[in-house]
Amino acid sequence: MSRLPEVDPEIWRKVQEAFAEALGLDEEEVTLDAKVIEDLGAESLDFLDLAFRLERAFGIKIPRGGIEDAAKSDLGDEGYEVEGVLTPAALERLAVALPEVPRDEFREGLRTVEVAELFRVATFYNLVVHLLEEKERAGA
Amino acid sequence: MSGEPPQGRSLPRFAFIVHALAPLQRRIMGVRALQAGLALGAEDGTAFHRVSRLCTLRLDGVAEGVVIGLALDPEQLLVDQERALRRLHRAVNLAGDVEAVGLGSLCAVVAGRGEGLAARVTVPVTTGAAATAWALHRNVRRILEVRGEDRVALVGVRGPVGGAVARLLAEEGVTVHVDATRRAARAGLTGFESAEEAVRDVPVVVGAGPTGASLDPAALAREAVVVDVAIPDTVRPPLPEGVTVYAGEAVKPPPGWHGGFWGRLYQVFAGYGPTQVFACLIEPLVLAVEGRGRPYALGRRLRPEVVREFGRGAEALGFQPRLARGWRGVDPAEEAPGPLRRLVPGRPRR
Repeated sequence: MSRLPEVDPEIWRKVQEAFAEALGLDEEEVTLDAKVIEDLGAESLDFLDLAFRLERAFGIKIPRGGIEDAAKSDLGDEGYEVEGVLTPAALERLAVALPEVPRDEFREGLRTVEVAELFRVATFYNLVVHLLEEKERAGA
Repeated sequence: MSGEPPQGRSLPRFAFIVHALAPLQRRIMGVRALQAGLALGAEDGTAFHRVSRLCTLRLDGVAEGVVIGLALDPEQLLVDQERALRRLHRAVNLAGDVEAVGLGSLCAVVAGRGEGLAARVTVPVTTGAAATAWALHRNVRRILEVRGEDRVALVGVRGPVGGAVARLLAEEGVTVHVDATRRAARAGLTGFESAEEAVRDVPVVVGAGPTGASLDPAALAREAVVVDVAIPDTVRPPLPEGVTVYAGEAVKPPPGWHGGFWGRLYQVFAGYGPTQVFACLIEPLVLAVEGRGRPYALGRRLRPEVVREFGRGAEALGFQPRLARGWRGVDPAEEAPGPLRRLVPGRPRR
């Protein structure tokens, strides 16, 4: 079971546009629940391009490795993974950090290099909303 | 061919922008530009004015170009793409009057795969992807011909180069296994869930992924040959016995190619030695000569017909793709299969 966000139409339009431009897609192909790698065909360097376009569209700064870093928080590297495999605690943290990803995809044995394969378009939408809120708080 | 253009006409000019791949290269840039802070390693290369001319290149009677270097290293480019874009723009200004701008290494990736820079300047900006795809495609065809094969496995089909090469090969009747299932059938390709599944029992493998190390070498067929443009390599040593890896994006320039001392040094540090260049370097040259007015490759889309068009232009000027091992060009017809001499030293980086 996943939880997709209720979208703000203005933010969603820009997110859709960024994905379409970065991945060479029609905007209609970019849906909230689409898997960024498997469904939309993104490769690793596309994430860089996506970050650039989203940063420009919203005037935000997307930290590199931000999603995983947030999941690590106080776990540290050792508590996060062992020989490239996520620990149960890390899986739990990621499941909370990525509510748009169905829970059963955080399976035992998931490798750190496979985390990006879980990302949905909604993952980026949520990240943008979060960073916009942070930006607003910082400006308040 | 005369060394000078007809009287009263200047040669088409192009610029090629690169960045420091390692601290040593940044120091050499400092020496070249007489910037003591960089040369001595006392600066990190992020200062706005640390953009400099590295060398000039010339194909007699055809075109001349300038290579501009950013002192930013890969991490510095990636961590702040707006800063990278400002440096790229400065590099174009430093190049002066040119008809085309090419982007090397990560310069072709940051800031929207060239689109950010293209929006800021009036000359066409091209990423080098068409040239890389042309060289890779030609080299793979050569291997297929020598080995009498009509099947390849291509790793990295999601990228612009991999996607274009896969479609080119499929259009020519080659059976192409790829490491993605969606859209594979629509493009006439055979899709697999993983790179390892795609290469199983296939004797010719194409490494076209952008970041490399994407394939478990144990999955390769015995006596497999890998033609690679990924950086770092698609498969990392130790390789299984009998496996051969060639670099797939080296190009031999025609007679009349000159770079002077700094040009030769640039070619050596770029990785393929003094007699070969990376394919992406010649993309802006061909663009300037052809007067095409619009890039061969920008952003993510790369159509097979554009790769063919680029190839016709490059070959008309005498450029030849060749399989390479480090500084050495290789003719696969002269390399009989065998269990030894197969481990290949690390390929250079663009």
